[in-house]
Amino acid sequence: MRNSGAVLILSFIAKLISQAAGVSAPGKPRLTSCRSPEKETFTCWWEPGDDGGLPTTYALYYHLENSETIYECPDYRTAGDNSCFFNKNDTSLWVNYNITVVATNALGKNISDPVEVDVAYIVQPNTPENVTAVVVDEDQGPFVRVSWEKPRTADTRSGWITLQYQLRVKQKKDKEWEEYDAGMQKYYNVFSLHPDKEFMVQVRCKPDHGFWSEWTQTTYVKMPDYIPRERSLWIMITIFSVFIVLILTWTLNVKRNSVKLCLLPPVPGPKIKGFDKQLLKSGKSEEVFNSLVIQGFPPTIDYDDLLVEYLEVYDNEEQELVLDSKDLSEDCMKSKSPSDCDSGRGSCDSRTLLLEKCMVGREGSRSDQHQYSQHGETSWASTESSECQGLEPGSPEFSDGRVKTWPVVFSSPQPHHHYQVEAVKPVYHSVPEILNHSSPHAMPANYQNLQHQDIPQQEGRFGKPACRHSQSYTHGLDTPAPGVSPSRSLEYVEVQRINPENMLLLRPLSDQNREPEGSDYAGEDYSKVKELTSNNILLLQRDTSYQCADGYSQAGQCTTQQPPHPCKPVIYQSHSGMPQEGMRVMGNGYVDTTVLMPSY
Amino acid sequence: SENQRLFTNAVIRVQRLHQLAAKMINDFEDSLLPEERRQLSKIFPLSFCNSDYIEAPTGKDETQKSSMLKLLRISFRLIESWEYPSQTLSGTVSNSLIVGNPNQLTEKLADLKMGINVLIKGSLDGQPNIDDNDSLPLPFEDFYLTMGENNLRESFRLLACFKKDMHKVETYLRVANCRRSLDSNCTL
Repeated sequence: MRNSGAVLILSFIAKLISQAAGVSAPGKPRLTSCRSPEKETFTCWWEPGDDGGLPTTYALYYHLENSETIYECPDYRTAGDNSCFFNKNDTSLWVNYNITVVATNALGKNISDPVEVDVAYIVQPNTPENVTAVVVDEDQGPFVRVSWEKPRTADTRSGWITLQYQLRVKQKKDKEWEEYDAGMQKYYNVFSLHPDKEFMVQVRCKPDHGFWSEWTQTTYVKMPDYIPRERSLWIMITIFSVFIVLILTWTLNVKRNSVKLCLLPPVPGPKIKGFDKQLLKSGKSEEVFNSLVIQGFPPTIDYDDLLVEYLEVYDNEEQELVLDSKDLSEDCMKSKSPSDCDSGRGSCDSRTLLLEKCMVGREGSRSDQHQYSQHGETSWASTESSECQGLEPGSPEFSDGRVKTWPVVFSSPQPHHHYQVEAVKPVYHSVPEILNHSSPHAMPANYQNLQHQDIPQQEGRFGKPACRHSQSYTHGLDTPAPGVSPSRSLEYVEVQRINPENMLLLRPLSDQNREPEGSDYAGEDYSKVKELTSNNILLLQRDTSYQCADGYSQAGQCTTQQPPHPCKPVIYQSHSGMPQEGMRVMGNGYVDTTVLMPSY
Repeated sequence: SENQRLFTNAVIRVQRLHQLAAKMINDFEDSLLPEERRQLSKIFPLSFCNSDYIEAPTGKDETQKSSMLKLLRISFRLIESWEYPSQTLSGTVSNSLIVGNPNQLTEKLADLKMGINVLIKGSLDGQPNIDDNDSLPLPFEDFYLTMGENNLRESFRLLACFKKDMHKVETYLRVANCRRSLDSNCTL
């Protein structure tokens, strides 16, 4: 008892001393792996633990699964340090080995964890040998043929072990390897390698059920510099393009004419008749030239006929219209001449207006001046600026030889104020034009207007859009004013000239005669242009020679009208393009004065 | 020749069986829970197999020293020993492995056994089959079924033994095949 106690105390002290000295029993070793290269022998390696500061020895012990007999490792040397080599005699397949490693030093020992091993399943062959890579030059292009040999130790010949191979290729600069499986054969052809580059090749192998071997040492191979000749592809491309060209050529040939038409459009022949060669040959120059002449061109104009037939002035104050129905009817008939110079204007054409007015006027009540005035309003006599340019001489539309301008209908007891104006050019329709020439627009100062408020109605009534007349609207009413002889209808005035005083001189133009009709026709009636206001308004002066017709509500019409204010500005020149306040600007700069017209 | 073709055929069949066995045990191990895995590792020896009693070469030298007939006979017995237990085998693995016919494994084994029988007869060349040492009835009928209630352990053992035996047969047949014909793949 004392001995055991002493031993215990001694060992305890020894431990303390050893700990103080820094030495201890060895650490636990660990078996890292066991491998068999050919399924006949195998080797196990272990990792030593801490040696505890003292020299430590290691021993490997094993026993087979179905026996308790423990054997020690037969060979510690062959496989190197910390290894145990089992030779053929000691190796049994399909048997589990239970292997442990024991580390021993002066202070103690330590046993590793046991490891179960079945040799048949730990086969890892050696690397393949004699790897060669050769460039083979073929018609399709050069490729590399890699060949190798089996690892020496593996016995594939007897069928004891079957190996399959794998190789990998890459350029030096590449990161990734290109892997190829070669199966059980010992060569492989690598295609599609880049020309003039150096490649690295490696091979490895694996048994049916086991581990891959290590990769062999790198074998280098250099591809020659060649041009990849994908001949077949080029041949196909060539044939295809030839085929396409043939088809195109044939198609062009077939469609020769239409192609020609497309590329070289035919030059239009001369529309002008030109010289007749036959006549030229005959030498009769007169005939040659005569043949050039188109009959009826330019249309001869009877100026007298073309001008405004009459200008009917509508008195400002009364807003009544004098209408000579008879003349009106005649005029209406005449005014059923061909359409206006431009179709768009047809609705605003005063002639048309007049026409309709004629119709309506006859139908409507005559007693109601107001009504008539309504009608009359629709007959805008407008001095249009540019709308009727087409009515220039030579316009084929006026086949009847008469060009009717907008009838300007005046309502006045002296119904007609005729103005004559120095016609700058044939005026037939061109009251507008003349007005263009002369900036002042001649319109009777006492021109009224229009019952602006009625205008839209009438427009609607006659189905006209907003008139694009800019300038002056004189409105004529064609209903015969009471007291006025019914024969007095709308009369047209010809603007004959503009005298230096900026007066638009108009003269009446009636078909039948130029003679004044009726007693109330006071010969030539003129309205002088009083002045041109700053607003480009032409103020017309009313002559005192007018006969005042009874029944007209125009109070001051017999008197000379001086100032602007009884004369309402009738004409607005739209050239300036500045619409007055309250004026309704219609279309392209034309001004509808209707809005502005105050109610009298 | 016909015999050669049969041999090659047999080798291919047993190779497939071996691969199937390896896959089965791998799947089984993958499906184990960690604690089950720990449990398994503590149990050893893991594979007391039924076929342990069948004398078979365990090394290359021994195998090469054995005659072809012996190898064929051993293979036959090994395959035969698994015919019955293979039905239990099918139950241990997941259905994904053996799709369709659950008796697929048993049928394969039966076919292979028949093939090996043919090879044996061919190899005998008319001689009577006198080697009866191994023809004793094998007490394998209930071997695996009486090994206890531990399903995990038994399942694993079953699978491991199956895989091992298949590997054995494959090895023997290959060696036998290579021995009899010099121009087969063995010379590669």
